[in-house]
Amino acid sequence: MSSGQSNTFEPLTLIEPFIEKKGGLMPALHALQEHLGYISKESIAELATAFNYSQAEIIDVITFYDDFRTKPIGKNIIRICLAEACQSQNCKKLLKDISSQLNLTLDETNHDSGITLKEVFCLGNCAIGPSVMINETVIGEATTEKIINHLEEDDA
Amino acid sequence: MLHKTISNLIKEESVKIIRNGSWGAYWLEPFIEIEKDGVRTGASYRNIDLTHLKTIEDFFLDFEKKNPFDINEIDFIKNQNRIVFSRIGQQDPLDINYYRATKGYESLITALEIGHQETIDRIKSSGLTGRGGAAFPTGIKMQTVFDQDVSTKYLACNADEGDGGTFSDRLIMESDPFSLIEGMTIAAYAVGASKGYIYLRSEYPLAKDFLSDAIDIALKNNYLGENIQNTDFNFEIELRIGAGSYVCGEETAMMESIEGRRGLVRSKPPLPAINGLFGKPTLINNVVTLATIPALLSDQHSEFSEIGSNKSVGTMPFQLSGNIKNGGLIETRFDITLKEMIENYGSGTKSDKPLHAIQIGGPLGIYLSSNMLNTSLTIESLEELKGSVGHGGIIVFDDSVDMSEQAKFAMEFCVKESCGKCTPCRIGSVRGVEIIERLQKNKASKEDAILLEDLCETLESTSLCAMGGMTPNPIHSIINYFPNELIEK
Repeated sequence: MSSGQSNTFEPLTLIEPFIEKKGGLMPALHALQEHLGYISKESIAELATAFNYSQAEIIDVITFYDDFRTKPIGKNIIRICLAEACQSQNCKKLLKDISSQLNLTLDETNHDSGITLKEVFCLGNCAIGPSVMINETVIGEATTEKIINHLEEDDA
Repeated sequence: MLHKTISNLIKEESVKIIRNGSWGAYWLEPFIEIEKDGVRTGASYRNIDLTHLKTIEDFFLDFEKKNPFDINEIDFIKNQNRIVFSRIGQQDPLDINYYRATKGYESLITALEIGHQETIDRIKSSGLTGRGGAAFPTGIKMQTVFDQDVSTKYLACNADEGDGGTFSDRLIMESDPFSLIEGMTIAAYAVGASKGYIYLRSEYPLAKDFLSDAIDIALKNNYLGENIQNTDFNFEIELRIGAGSYVCGEETAMMESIEGRRGLVRSKPPLPAINGLFGKPTLINNVVTLATIPALLSDQHSEFSEIGSNKSVGTMPFQLSGNIKNGGLIETRFDITLKEMIENYGSGTKSDKPLHAIQIGGPLGIYLSSNMLNTSLTIESLEELKGSVGHGGIIVFDDSVDMSEQAKFAMEFCVKESCGKCTPCRIGSVRGVEIIERLQKNKASKEDAILLEDLCETLESTSLCAMGGMTPNPIHSIINYFPNELIEK
């Protein structure tokens, strides 16, 4: 996932391929977020014009979905699964441990370390829980140590 | 990681590395197999670091020390009846030649030869019911869409596998994506749709990569696109990615999302089969249902349809997970007992502590207690217990579980995931959490017990969809099957 800021950012060029598609708003939102890391104010204005929606309607859609955000977050996103199979494998304790280790609560971003901690409900890795997804990599039988090691490897 | 390490060791051309899909036997993974002179054996590389190895010969020596075995011979795999999941683990999931060599795309050719109605009739006669949760007869749904005299129709594949403890759709998409694409193509041909969507949850980025590649390969080989296999049938598939909303797995909310709106559920009727996506007749099925279709147009039809009875016909991919030693995908007949599932396949709890509860059918399913292990896993038997097989998830808990917390979670999940359209679901779930929190402090409160009962009844009878309507299911099961753990009687 790229979340770097770009100076030459043109929302319209990203949105363009989806304008004529039926129901193209969702893929357009994904494309914008993938590029910038979030949906910016100017993107919302461009989306409204492009899709013939009011800005309120665009915000209406964005705020419904957990994935979309209107503010930048960390470079590394840790999603900890809190669904039933992981509950049986003590994910609540893992969440507590990782929270204190990284000094982060759910939905919080540490802008120094560039890490955001989020909850997720099921990663489809339920037979070897607890599961955690770091960016796009799923880690089974997750421990605080495994998570930290993975973050360090990514940095290296 | 292991793939990279071993790849770096290979210097000669006589060794070829294949990235096969999962066998669905998760406790063995990463599982590495070596095929030499036609003999294939494998060994588990769980938590093993290979970075100290210098040459590929070192790796082979190390492999032999692990007493490699044929995975087809272990009870977990051998005792299953893999019809829909017959290819997973075998080969590179994107190898279309392997897919064809194992009867892949023969069923599409058959469908194009026998025509629309005969294709639907064969699916009807197979007895297949939807594997997404509602267990509606697949052939009848197809007939409804086919019978609509409208030129534009759609197919929507629901790949928003959101139930906690389920991963059968993910396995198909990552280990045998062509079976889904072929199933969709047959279904689209049968009902007369020329455009299909796959609505895939964003939590499955690997499935997204495999599906995108598989769609491209199918296009290049004329299994998708225009004039498929030199007929006048055209069909294209567009992959749409969800954005972290559970309720978008509900078919009407999914359609709203594909159309570019909030995932608010629609009232039914009209049925999607009559008035669905963009106002057109739409066939909606989940991944496993569609991936089952090719087998039903092949010589496996009778093998499939002769298993089981009533709604529970054919094989069901159960997904065994949670606190279990050998968790994974188990494709088997429906009428096996929970005991067989947990003891024979699962080998008991992972913690070795006593079993306490088993959740069946996802967040809207029910919890069974450890003295209900003789329960058969058929759709009918679970309906009798006021539950459902749902998408086939079975989650095991040992005796450290606090059932009042599980009841509270059912309401909390509804608070988080309700689309907000129906008041009982949107607000009732918040009140539900509060009542359960009070019960956690005083199990004997008659007042709160009655209030919770009333609230559940309101949710059940006044919600538009299963999210609100079935959230009480786990709570009722905890009250009924776990006396004194939430409410003192």
